[in-house]
Amino acid sequence: MPDDDPPGGDLHLVDLSKRFGRVTAVDSVSLTVPQGSYFALLGASGCGKTTTLRMVAGLERPTGGRVLLGDRDLTGLRPYRRPVNTVFQSYALFPHLDVFDNVAFGLRRRGVREVPEQVRRMLALVQLDGYERRRPGQLSGGQQQRVALARALVNRPRVLLLDEPLAALDLTLRRQMQGELKRLQTDLGTTFVHVTHDQEEAMTLADTVAVLHAGRVEQLGAPADLYDHPASAFVATFLGQCNLLAAEAAGTAGDEVAVTAYGLRLAVPADRARADRGAVHLGVRPEKLRLAGTADEVPAGHQQIPAVVTDVTYLGSGTRYLLRTGWGGELSAYTVNDGTGARLPVGAAVLAHWVPRHAFLLPRDPVERAAAPAGEPVGAPG
Amino acid sequence: MTDRSAPSPASHRTPAARPAASVPGGGPGRRRVLPYLLVLPGVAWLVLFFGLPLVQLAAASLYDPTGSLSTGYVFAWAFGNYPDALATYWPHLARSFGYAGLALLLALALGCPLAYAIALRAGRWRNLLLVCVVAPMFTSFLVRTLAWKTILSDQGWLVGLLRDVHLLAPDGRLLATPFAVVLGLTYNFLPLLVLPLYASLERLDRRVLEAATDLYADPLRTFLTVTLPLAKPGLVAGVLLFFIPASGDYINAELLGSPNEYMVGNVIDSAFLVRLDHPQGAALSFLLMAAVLGLVVTLLRHTRGEGSPALDGGAR
Amino acid sequence: MRTPLSRRGPVTLTRRGLITGVLGSALVAAGCGVEGARQDPQDCVTEDRSASEPTLAFSNWPQYLDVDEDDPTKRPTLDDFVARTGIRVTYTEDINDNNEFFGKVRQQLAACRGIDRDLIVLTDWLAARMIGFGWIQQLDPARLPNVRANLLPQLANRSFDPDGRIAVPWQSGLAGLAYNGRVTREVRTVDELLTRPDLKGRVTLLSEMRDTMGLLLQSAGHDPANFTDDQFDAALARLERAVAAGQIRRFTGNDYAPELARGDIAACLAWSGDAIQLAAGDERVRFVAPEEGVLLFSDNLLVPKTATHRANAERLIDHYYDPAVAARLAAYVNYICPVRGAREEMERIDPELAANPLIFPDDALLNRARVFMTLDEEQERRYETAFQRVIGA
Repeated sequence: MPDDDPPGGDLHLVDLSKRFGRVTAVDSVSLTVPQGSYFALLGASGCGKTTTLRMVAGLERPTGGRVLLGDRDLTGLRPYRRPVNTVFQSYALFPHLDVFDNVAFGLRRRGVREVPEQVRRMLALVQLDGYERRRPGQLSGGQQQRVALARALVNRPRVLLLDEPLAALDLTLRRQMQGELKRLQTDLGTTFVHVTHDQEEAMTLADTVAVLHAGRVEQLGAPADLYDHPASAFVATFLGQCNLLAAEAAGTAGDEVAVTAYGLRLAVPADRARADRGAVHLGVRPEKLRLAGTADEVPAGHQQIPAVVTDVTYLGSGTRYLLRTGWGGELSAYTVNDGTGARLPVGAAVLAHWVPRHAFLLPRDPVERAAAPAGEPVGAPG
Repeated sequence: MTDRSAPSPASHRTPAARPAASVPGGGPGRRRVLPYLLVLPGVAWLVLFFGLPLVQLAAASLYDPTGSLSTGYVFAWAFGNYPDALATYWPHLARSFGYAGLALLLALALGCPLAYAIALRAGRWRNLLLVCVVAPMFTSFLVRTLAWKTILSDQGWLVGLLRDVHLLAPDGRLLATPFAVVLGLTYNFLPLLVLPLYASLERLDRRVLEAATDLYADPLRTFLTVTLPLAKPGLVAGVLLFFIPASGDYINAELLGSPNEYMVGNVIDSAFLVRLDHPQGAALSFLLMAAVLGLVVTLLRHTRGEGSPALDGGAR
Repeated sequence: MRTPLSRRGPVTLTRRGLITGVLGSALVAAGCGVEGARQDPQDCVTEDRSASEPTLAFSNWPQYLDVDEDDPTKRPTLDDFVARTGIRVTYTEDINDNNEFFGKVRQQLAACRGIDRDLIVLTDWLAARMIGFGWIQQLDPARLPNVRANLLPQLANRSFDPDGRIAVPWQSGLAGLAYNGRVTREVRTVDELLTRPDLKGRVTLLSEMRDTMGLLLQSAGHDPANFTDDQFDAALARLERAVAAGQIRRFTGNDYAPELARGDIAACLAWSGDAIQLAAGDERVRFVAPEEGVLLFSDNLLVPKTATHRANAERLIDHYYDPAVAARLAAYVNYICPVRGAREEMERIDPELAANPLIFPDDALLNRARVFMTLDEEQERRYETAFQRVIGA
């Protein structure tokens, strides 16, 4: 039980796997969640992130691997013996109990003293004082969310697990609750593990994000690292939009990797290359692409590709351009409307250029990518 | 990248304007009459086949007890029939409730885990198990009870086994004992308890059970503090469906018991069919009905409110 | 605008008023009580349409009429009657229990309404009750020559039918003892049944008051055809002691038979017809006619007051008192045959059955047999209530 334990320490998942029949939901996941951090498990639905979370909670028994909290092995423990608590996706509040009894549930099961004081303090923390005698059915979605949080946090868990906690809320409320979650985590110093499919939510809240894909960790790191230097085409496109050019790398020469794409000779800094030979993706984020009318306007040292503007979308804070390259591929570029450049018309011939350090090289499966139209911007828009 | 525009001014938390109460067309008069027209067939049915016989029975319970079938009965407000019947047959009434109560406890002990297992643990076996619970109902009540007579027979394997392991004296028996009657009641009415309980357990949100486990409740605690309270409507329905016919039953006592186990149902049966003492039979019927009704009302009083937020909601 | 509450108000009142009114008037209507069930013969006269309608509706107990061994849809003796007389008989096996049947028809008969049956078969005591209520038609002796000639003398002049012109026995039986020789040694008297320690809890008696009390009276040396209240009370007290001591396991109808066969019951009061069938399955199940006496009962052919085919019914009754027909019936049903001369006919069909004293009892047995006395309603209620109390209901 949490109160008897030494402070939990880091949460380690070691080769954690879960198979349902012939389907592998989680495939040998290993990662470490540092104590006191806000950690996000990010992935599309079906990627195994919720199953991973449920294995940490003990609601799912792993097929293989271990769950450690500090030095303590939690793998075989029943959920009610683990010093972790969960905020469930649809809150799963007890409909027959009022707010107070919902929050007091865990404390009472553990025989904790001073239940009313602790419950009141926690309700104050989630700004629900005065709602003690309401039933869950009489609360709004946001209020239920707070009750679910309070019900879990009042137990002072070593790790708080949040399973898509904001998915049922509308946009405004979600923003607001994101702020509150971050505040609570900072105030309490509890380790939060937050499962979400919303990359923006993950990047807003988390110190560390693990991107899960097909039951495996694609990449783990700080949000900025994931965005600026993704480890795979999946991560590059799942987190924001990205221009990926199919290219061939010819190996490292000095501190650069020389790359050929559609007859163009380009170069990427060696420390930005996750592959330096054979089939690669050259990736540049749309907002890193700048547009120049003539070669003179391209600063020295920039990489460039000639193209024609085919579509212009004005977004207020910025403008999105679609460009067609000489070989028929498409590029996406985004410029900030900071009042400096004029907008380019459709049909204008431009040079798309970028700082070499802003590009990155990813390994490419030549077979897999061969079918895809080359050079199209891929990834989630918006 | 993500659209980071400011939140839209139209706040989602503003409650939508309540639409003004409006009266649909048709006029108030028609609207008031229609619902009553709709219940009319049901009410007529009730009056004809429940209300009138009940009144008839009530009247019969107040007939002059000196009447007889051949000379006729005179309605005489003979309330004395009630204390008379009670004085003579209170042991049978007490036995009815005692046996039905014992059977209920047994059925709860068997039926709660059974319903729980079928609803939450059976997986793909669920339908098969449900059929197994209901299947005995497809044979006649009488046949089922007679089957127990064979199972519990003095010469049967069960009694033989119990005698061999000295759980039963060498000349001991199961038939014609209170045990057999309670067993028969338990068996015969168990599905009536299990089915409503199953229905309400099956509707249970499993995530709520997971939440309880996550909040340090072991399986027993989860069952007692979450599963059971949430299944209460089904449990109450099951208890009533079980207890009401069990307390009025006479077949089990007749077939599995001896004269010392006869319940009030046997007395009513004999009063109407053998002794032709209609006033007493009617009075006993009403006593049984009143006692059962009292129990039902008490039970419903006791269990309402906890499950219904409407009754004690709002700020205190 | 009126609130929902005020809208519902007046309607509720009306509804409650309506219900009160209905219940009240119903109670008043029912409050007049129930008229006596007894019929004055003058009030309920039924025309006999036998001359114009050659039909007959005959209700009987299950397995109480011979069936063709090869074709179970054929009933040879009845088919002969139909062939001989041209009367179409609708035969229904819908009497399973005297009390139940009484409950089914009593309201119609009390109101002089038809029950769609011209001929029914009921046990002595119920026949007596229904005759007492005036619900049964007198028969014409002139149309029953076979009955006059062949009825066993022991069955003539029964108290509920002193002139022998209203109830004709269909089959008769004895109430006596039976025991299962596999689980107990021989039982010879009712006294043993009530007191032998090795039988404790393994004895059943009959829930039919006349049979059980009749045998107890005989066991005490009294005559069930003629006894006093004191004698009855003494016999009942003896029964009560046996019940309280746990000697008696249950009071039964026909359902003692499988239990006796299994051996759950070691010994019991039993009916001779059942005993013959049980003995056919296991010869160690024996019927005993105690020395102190046995009870003779009959199931009687009766023509209800409202039956419209009395003459047709009389022809059928007389048909079954032809010794040759009676023997064929007796060979199937295994009860005591009330027809003299049938035994001689039986010797031609099945000499073994002809020698069975439970089908054709000898004079020694018949002389020990008594018919329970007819009770007036007062006595019936007094005895039945006392008896039911002792047997637990």
